[in-house]
This record gives sequence, C-alpha cells and structure tokens, in this order.
Amino acid sequence: MKETPAPVAASSNSATSAAHLKEIASLIETGAYAREVRRIARAIRLTMALRRKLKTSVVSAFLNFALTPGSEPHARLSSYLPKEDDHEMEVDTATSVVQAPVKHSLPELEIFSYLLVLIFLIDQKKYSEAKACSSASIARLKNINRRTVDVLASRLYFYYSLSYEHTGDLAEIRGNLLALHQIATLRHDELGQETLLNLLLRNYLHYNLYDQAEKLRSKAPRFEAHSNQQFCRYLFYLGKIRTIQLEYTDAKESLLQAARKAPIAALGFRIQCTKWAVIVRLLLGEIPERTVFMQKGMETALRPYFELTNAVRIGDLELFKSVAEKFSATFSVDRTHNLIVRLRHNVIRTGLRNISISYSRISLADVAKKLRLDSPNPVADAESIVSKAIRDGAIDATIDHAKGWMVSKETGDIYSTNEPQMAFNSRIAFCLNMHNEAVRALRFPPNSHKEKEIAEKRRERQQQEQELAKHIAEEDDDEF
Amino acid sequence: MDPKLTEVSQYFERFKAACVREDIDTSANLLSQLKVLLTSFRSLPPLFEVTPNAVQELTIARDIYEHAVLLSVKMGDQDAFERDFFQLKPYYTDARKRLPRSPQEHMILGLNLLRLLVQNRIAEFHTELELLPAESLEDPCIKHAVELEQSFMEGAYNRVLTAKQTVPNQSYDYFMDLLAKTVRDEIAGCSEKAYDFLSINDARQMLLFSSDNELLKYINEEHPEWEIKDGSVIFQKAKETAPCKEIPSLQLINQTLSYARELERIV
Repeated sequence: MKETPAPVAASSNSATSAAHLKEIASLIETGAYAREVRRIARAIRLTMALRRKLKTSVVSAFLNFALTPGSEPHARLSSYLPKEDDHEMEVDTATSVVQAPVKHSLPELEIFSYLLVLIFLIDQKKYSEAKACSSASIARLKNINRRTVDVLASRLYFYYSLSYEHTGDLAEIRGNLLALHQIATLRHDELGQETLLNLLLRNYLHYNLYDQAEKLRSKAPRFEAHSNQQFCRYLFYLGKIRTIQLEYTDAKESLLQAARKAPIAALGFRIQCTKWAVIVRLLLGEIPERTVFMQKGMETALRPYFELTNAVRIGDLELFKSVAEKFSATFSVDRTHNLIVRLRHNVIRTGLRNISISYSRISLADVAKKLRLDSPNPVADAESIVSKAIRDGAIDATIDHAKGWMVSKETGDIYSTNEPQMAFNSRIAFCLNMHNEAVRALRFPPNSHKEKEIAEKRRERQQQEQELAKHIAEEDDDEF
Repeated sequence: MDPKLTEVSQYFERFKAACVREDIDTSANLLSQLKVLLTSFRSLPPLFEVTPNAVQELTIARDIYEHAVLLSVKMGDQDAFERDFFQLKPYYTDARKRLPRSPQEHMILGLNLLRLLVQNRIAEFHTELELLPAESLEDPCIKHAVELEQSFMEGAYNRVLTAKQTVPNQSYDYFMDLLAKTVRDEIAGCSEKAYDFLSINDARQMLLFSSDNELLKYINEEHPEWEIKDGSVIFQKAKETAPCKEIPSLQLINQTLSYARELERIV
C-alpha cells in the first residue's frame, strides 16, 4: 500500500522539476532570441536551485523535450546518463503534455542540456562519465561563437575542470585551457576569459607551480570583473601567490577582500580565505582578533589557527613548536606547512618585543632563557638576534657588550609624529574606494529608457505628479 | 645500442675523467660538444617523444647536466650554474615518471637553494621550496639549506657560521664562503645600530677576523665612518637623526587635494 503514494509523491516531485526545467528552457529561448544575456544568467541561477532535485528520469525527460530525439546530440547525451528502470515514471512522463514540435534546436538549448547532464553526473559522483561528457561539450563549443552562449560556456569550463580535478588528471587539460583562453580573448568573451584564467591559476596552484602561475597572471589582460564569484576566486589565488612570494601586505589585502566579498553561503571558501589571511597577518607581525576565529560555522575549522595565534602572541617558542606538531596534519592538508615554519622568526620577534617593553635593562643570558632558544650557544645567539631586531627597527634598544646586557630606550609620544595622520589617510582612502566601487557597480535594467509607456501607466504617472504638485502648493500656502 | 648514444657515452666518460682531474678547460670544451650532440636526441625535453631508447637517453642527458652543474660550482660561475640548473630541472619534474630517481637529485636541489640564499633571492627560495614534496624536506642536504635560511632570517649569524662545518658535501664550500662574506656585512650593519661602542677584541671576534690588522683594514675599506679610539671602535651614534619637526607639506597637500576631489564626486 505504501508503494503507490511513494511513486506518486516522487513523480509529483519530478513533475515539478520537469516543469521548472521547461520554464528554464523557455527562458533561455526568449533570451537567445532577444539577445539578452541577463535572461540566460537568470536561467542558470534557477537551474542551480534545482540541482538537488534532479533525477535521471527528469533529465532524460528534459532531453526529450529540448532536443529532437534521435538527433545526434540527443543520442550522445543520453548515452552518458545511467540507465534506470523505473517503470512507474514511464507512465507519468508519457502522459505529460505533448508539446508542439518547437525544435529549432537552438545551440543555446543544446549547450544547456550538456550543462545539465554534466551537473547531474558530477552530483552523482560519476566522474569518469563527467570527464567524457565535458570533453565532448568543449569540442562542441569551439564551433559556436555567440555571445549568448558565453554564460553557459563559462559554466561548462568550470565543470570541465572540476571533473578532471576529481579524477586527479588536472595536468592533462592545461593545454586545452590555455587554448580556450586564447579563443575567448579573440572573441572578446570577457566572462569566459575571467573563468578560464581562474581555472588555469587553480590548475597551477594545485601542483604548487607558483612561478608559472605568477607569470601567467602578470601577462593576462585584466579588466573589470563581470562575476562576483570569479573575482573572489581571482583575489584568493592572487593572495596565495603573493604570500609565497613574501609580499605580505598585498597578500593580506587580496585575501581579506576575497573573504569579505564572498557570498555567505560559500562557507568552505571563506574558511580557506580566513586561514590564509590569519597566517599572513601573523607573518606581518599583527595579531588577528579573537572575533575572527569565532565566526559562525568556522570555529572548529579555525581551531588550530587559533592556538597558533595564541602561541605567536605570547612569543613562546616551546608552545609554538608543540602546537605546530600537534596540528601538523591539518597544516599539511591546507598546504600552509611551509608558511608555519616561517612563523618561527615572528614568534621570536614578538617575544623580544615583549621583553624590551617590560624591562628597561636585562642581561642577555636572561633574554636567552626567556625566549627559550634551544641552541648550543644561547647567549651569543640571543645577542645576534637582538642586534638584528634592533637594526630592523622591531625594538628600540642598545646592547652593552662588555657588561652583557640590553638597555631599552624610552618610547616617545606617538601623537607628535605623523602616525595618526597616516592611519587616518589609509582609512579615508579605503572608504572612498569602496564608495567609488559601489557607484560603478550600480546597474540599471538595459532597455528601461526605451520602454514605451502604456496608456494606463501614463495616466497613473500623471496622476501622481498632479498630486505631488498639489501637495507642494499646499505646503507653500501653509507657509504664508 | 644506437651509434649516437655510444658516441655520447664515450664523450661523457672523457668528460667525467676531466672533471675528476680538475681540468677545467678540457671539461668545458667537452661539455659544449656534449650539449650539441644532445640536441639530436628527440626524446629529451622539450619534445619528450617516446623513442625506444628514451630511458637511456634521458638518463645520460640528466647525468651530463648534473655534472655540468657541479663543474660550474668548481669554476665559481654562478650564471653557468643557473643555466645548467634550469636545463636540468625538467628532468626532475616532468620526466619524474619516466626515470628512476637520481641519487644526486637532493644534493643538487640543496645547492640551488643555497645559491638563491647567497644571492639574496629569498622569494624564489621559498617558491622553489614549495615545489618540493614533503619527504624531500627530511633529506639532510635540503634540511641544511632550510635551517640556514631560518638562522639567517632570525639573525643568529653565529649559527650560520658554525653550519659551515657541517656541510653535507664538498661542493657546498664555495657557496658557504660567499655566505660567510654576506654574514660578515650583515653583522657589521647590525652592530652599528645596536652597540654604542665595542672593544677591538670583541669587534674582531664578532666579525671573525683572525688579527687586528685585518679588522682595521676592513673598517677602513667598508666603514670609514666608524672611529677607532682608545682601543675601541665607536659607531657613529652621535649623529642621531634629529627628530625632524618639519611638516611634510607636499604630502599633506596631495592628500587634502585628493579628499576634496573625491568629495566633489559625491553629488
């Protein structure tokens, strides 16, 4: 007895998904005819919302609807779908409304079907089929040169790279990605260029080829970002490259911006950005606040980094070493291990700074003991470390070699220097920058100034204007 | 065996013998001839074609380049080292699957890291380090270079100098000597800022000179502004940077103008 409700419920679900897909398909058609890329972008967004509910039956039903059955694309795509035998579905789909044969076989619809099948396969974790499907779609894409397809194409590139990454064959497609990038540049397909550049950077960074990634990035043409997600990704990859190249200030800016611009739902991405941002800030010598680690959903993931920050803040080498060992597995997975090793130097600096502020005069032997430098000759080590720190301007002190102690200098009044002014300036510049970017990001619907007002709307508008005029007149009267 | 391959092997044997004899000129000549011969092999980078003799050709080519790198160290030619190392690199990275591991790989990688450190190209040092898989970091040659870099960054220069005794390999000596010179300059720079004065004995110890005369000569050449009085070296602390009370007017004007411009835009 339970059988019948379940298939009915399932079939109704699949019926609604199928209906949604048909709506999306019609949206794409209208978009293609009117040459409005916006509609196609919206179609894609709606599809993403549908992802969970996709099933083989739904997908094959859609393929039947969108592409002429028996045609070559249809046959190819259906071959990728796993064969499921759900007989009850058959009945339902057969009785679904027979639509008029509107099979112009728009290239957009074809590419969209490729995309749908690919998403479905990846969600089902059938990566080898996904690989084959995506390679076929890329081959098909090379022949189509329409702006309306660009949005769909960029999504396809992304899933192409994703399917190869899951099977561990990223290096194979590097040549293809480069060729695609070239084609996209020739066709002035800016969204495609952006997506492909990010995919290439991801490819290089996956294999730790930071040098080549930087060379590509510096030579690739840059322009205003079209997609927020791609821009976030680009910033993240840029931040990573800069960190490895020891340019911490630039890295910090990029990583923090990426973490801020990312949508709230992209938790994994934000966690990664935050992890790298924390390490870069530690390397720069500043300690991130506790609230950074307490953000919703990120607490467990960021726990190792929290303990690390603690060790750096205290300036205790022993603690730092134990934390690094305890969480070494996490750090190797995040590939931040080498950066953590660089942090040792910062721990010593912070420790020194604390000592210098607290003591006006302290013997070098005591300094060595406090820093817990484990070396055969701690006092000599401590002396050279302190002298280098003084030279770099980290602490303000002098060493008296004969008597073997370190004398700290008085710290002057900060307000009499230019420091506050610099800080103010950087903040003002940041706010102004933000304002400019927001203004530039304002978008207006493209044809609104061309729309002819329908008579009714005109009447309405005139009425409103009259009312407003009367209101103002009344106000003026009131004044007198 | 392929006649070309035999020819190359013979030349290679002669080249190795010349290297052992420390005969720099013959080695250099033979090396250039070998390089020309290698261009006829199609299985080498950048072509990487699959030929029947591919593995042997790749192995021989790699050995040749390894010896070339070691030769450039003996000659003290850093540019040649860089060139040969770049040619050697694809054999380690791309051809990794086709060839068995070379026993000298880690030593040569360690040498390269040391060279980057000596030339103060720290960013490239770290980029190279990233390329190494985790287990390579356990290797003594590479570990030596990494620890050296750490000590250098921290400023524990005496550790750097003691590391000179623990080199894993003869060929490291050349770079360690260069490093010693850099370290000496660094120590001098730090001491300048950190100490008011130092007795001559202490200065000599710190800068690792074996006699007072050498110390005095060094000071005369490199740091003429240091004074030598009463048996101690006085660093120029007297000319302290007078706290410049002047207002950086140009900067302020620029900033204020930019604020005005931006505010104007906000309509």
